[in-house]
Amino acid sequence: MAVFADLEPAADAIEHLRSIGVHDDCMNVISGIPVTEAMLGRPSQWTNVPRIALGGAALGFLGGFFLAYVTPYLYPYPIQVGTQAFVPGPPTVVVLFELTMLGMLLATFLGVFLDSLFPNYRPMKYVPEVSDGKIAILIECSVMDEKKLTDALNKLGAESVQQAEAQHL
Amino acid sequence: MATLADLKISEVKLSEEQTGKWGMVIDQDICTGCQACVAACAMENNISFVGEEDSGYGRSMHWIRIERFWEGEYPEVKMTPNQPILCQQCGSAPCEPVCPVFATVHSQAEQLNLQVYNRCVGTRYCANNCPYQVRSFNWRDYERPEPLPNQLNPDVTVRRRGVMEKCTFCIQRIQKAQDQAKGEGREVVDGEFTTACAQACPASAITFGRVDDPESLVSRLTEQNYGVKHLEELGTLPRVTYFKGG
Amino acid sequence: MSEKKNHAEHAHGEEHLREKHLMLDPLPRGQMNEMVMESMQTTSWKFWVVFAILSVIVAYGLFYSWGVMIAEGLGVAGVNRPAYWGIFLVNTVFWIGISHAGTFISAILRVFKAEFRRPFTRAAELMTTFGLVQAGFSIFMHMGRVWLSYWLMPYPNQRMLWPNLHSPLTWDLLAITTYLLSSTMYLFLPLIPDVAMARDRSTGWRKTFYKILALGFRGTEGEWTHLRNAMGIFAWAIIPVMFSVHTIVSWDFAAATRPGWNSTIFGPYFVVGALHSGMGAVVMVLAIVRGTMKNMKYFIRPEHFDAISKLMLIISMAWAYFFFNDYMVQWYGGDKWTKQLMHFQEAGPMGWMWFAMLIFNIAIPWAVLWNARWRATPWIVFIVGLLINVGMWFERYIIIPVSLSINRMPFTWRLYEPGIEIPLGIGTLAFFILLYMAASRLIPLVPVWEVQEGQMAHELKKYGRETVVSVSELE
Repeated sequence: MAVFADLEPAADAIEHLRSIGVHDDCMNVISGIPVTEAMLGRPSQWTNVPRIALGGAALGFLGGFFLAYVTPYLYPYPIQVGTQAFVPGPPTVVVLFELTMLGMLLATFLGVFLDSLFPNYRPMKYVPEVSDGKIAILIECSVMDEKKLTDALNKLGAESVQQAEAQHL
Repeated sequence: MATLADLKISEVKLSEEQTGKWGMVIDQDICTGCQACVAACAMENNISFVGEEDSGYGRSMHWIRIERFWEGEYPEVKMTPNQPILCQQCGSAPCEPVCPVFATVHSQAEQLNLQVYNRCVGTRYCANNCPYQVRSFNWRDYERPEPLPNQLNPDVTVRRRGVMEKCTFCIQRIQKAQDQAKGEGREVVDGEFTTACAQACPASAITFGRVDDPESLVSRLTEQNYGVKHLEELGTLPRVTYFKGG
Repeated sequence: MSEKKNHAEHAHGEEHLREKHLMLDPLPRGQMNEMVMESMQTTSWKFWVVFAILSVIVAYGLFYSWGVMIAEGLGVAGVNRPAYWGIFLVNTVFWIGISHAGTFISAILRVFKAEFRRPFTRAAELMTTFGLVQAGFSIFMHMGRVWLSYWLMPYPNQRMLWPNLHSPLTWDLLAITTYLLSSTMYLFLPLIPDVAMARDRSTGWRKTFYKILALGFRGTEGEWTHLRNAMGIFAWAIIPVMFSVHTIVSWDFAAATRPGWNSTIFGPYFVVGALHSGMGAVVMVLAIVRGTMKNMKYFIRPEHFDAISKLMLIISMAWAYFFFNDYMVQWYGGDKWTKQLMHFQEAGPMGWMWFAMLIFNIAIPWAVLWNARWRATPWIVFIVGLLINVGMWFERYIIIPVSLSINRMPFTWRLYEPGIEIPLGIGTLAFFILLYMAASRLIPLVPVWEVQEGQMAHELKKYGRETVVSVSELE
């Protein structure tokens, strides 16, 4: 794991790593603020959150549909209130909208948990300096020449290069 | 008469041309304002005694009230006709759609507005939405010191605090008469029973009966065409016709 | 000579800009983290005194009084015929209104990329969650048989009775539940990185607490992507939810047949009113946070009060527009009942409240907030915000109990006099402050990662001789 203090050296380091044959999949960037992948020359991350959100919206819509169109018929006889239609128009719109939004937002929230595998209390590879604004590059595959790599990274401006240890956060 | 089981969803009648089943005619010109109807209603329907302080603050629980108005300043005061106001059992009741728990619903069999005491959670939206302001809320558990509980009508529930109530057109009397008639294998005859308020009125200002039966006294009175329905411009389809100034 | 002067001027100009703008005054992230942790963990004896007093008020005003009301019935409150709804509903609408400001700042300002929002989005979002809690209390309080309130919720039961979807109160339940859950989730998502930072920097029970809350967040690319994606979805989606919530609350009144209530403009009128009182509450909270918490003077600067005040002025104008719409149309074509109602509102026993509402909501903001120097003075803006909140509370009081006094049956007209609603209302206010005080010492109030992100994006650029602030789009 290499810790960098700034964006530029980190980007340079990633380029260097790529040039010596470390595949993009083996690298992981851990940072205290979201540095977009483009800034570091990394491929875009895939996220399932939008699809989960859409799925949640569909579920919410179904829930609203159930409330609006099915529940009035569940009681043994039709309950009449005023002279409004049995399944009223505008209130149905309200119910469908609210439950669709609820479904979508709940699913988005849970999607973050699912995609990031939260909550995760097992020991993970991390350095606390990351939350102080440092950028850490975690190299997960085995590299041929560790010494050479360490030297190169140090020359590029790494604050520290060390073996990443999985520890309790 | 259709039982509940016979009603299918397609039979939910929502047309505004319905005249209803049970109705009333109240002759304001004959009403003396004696409040006998108020007392009789309270006795018949187990209405709590609220007391002077709460009543003065607008918490009276009378299901029927005599409204009196006057014109002019003392001593040239002109009394206008007394106005007994009770639940109009609206055909298109504004109180019904707004209850979140279905505690006030429309009876399709009796064409009345029902108040389901054990379902009411006390949001009071129905009372806010009633244009006639005829709904009463149980603000407290009012006491009935001995021997008053002996006077309670066993046909009617006693309500506790937190529940809304209102005039039911003495539905317990309606049910009793219909049960009796059914047991005897006949229809209910007009005038066989009546509501407590109509029964008590010494001036016979209140007439109750079937408005869908053209032969009933109520219908014949309504046909005379000088009755008014209060606030009917709101589209509530009230079942009570008032004779005023005629 | 002139070059030197220019240089000196530039240096002074740049220095001035740096002092004025948080985004141009970056500190090392480690230092900012330290400042935030310090502000969380520093409590003076004054803090605990206020905490104790508020706890007593909450215990008596909220819990004890509510117990009395449940045991005795609503007779101990001030509601009667015809004012079946009183201060409980006023407080409900008031608290939901306050909660809208949080969403406005964290969602709408994010969508519009207004950078000045960065240091106080969480402070505002906390207001949303805690305000909705108080709204929930207030709405349950007003029910006659609150122990059966679960009947309003849709759940399968043996009687097959589901809630009545015709009723605006059912829509209220769905909308407020959606809003409460959504805003809490929206509060939590950007909190995760900050809690991770706090986890890294604390020991003892705090560390355990933050460790659990942080869910094992490290800051990997994947985690950031998912988080930002979700935050983007939330920001966009919670805006229509916010609009719908207060519109539905307004329909509690607009769907009724009462004169003065059955107005078609209530939807947008209430939403703008919510933003109005909400923004006033935000400046109050920010002024107090800045004044009482350590290190907050770095994060919350006069420029933020200036920016929020501009919004307050605009929203005040919008509120005046909607108020006048409602008023003008009722005055012009109103039927006799509406005319009676308007006369009662302005010239009746509560007429002073009506005038106070107009002065606090319109006159004072318009008189004060046009001045740039006053706008940037926290205590002035605090007073304006306080008066706006009082004015908006008055507005809801006029709309609910005062309007209910007048209806189409003059025999029933009667004034509303509050009873136990007063300690209960004060109890909810005290609880709000109490929750906020607790939260300010338990979670980092400033989203430091967002501040650093913003500072990264801001820089001073020279256009010819002029030094300009320039913001890059980091997304």
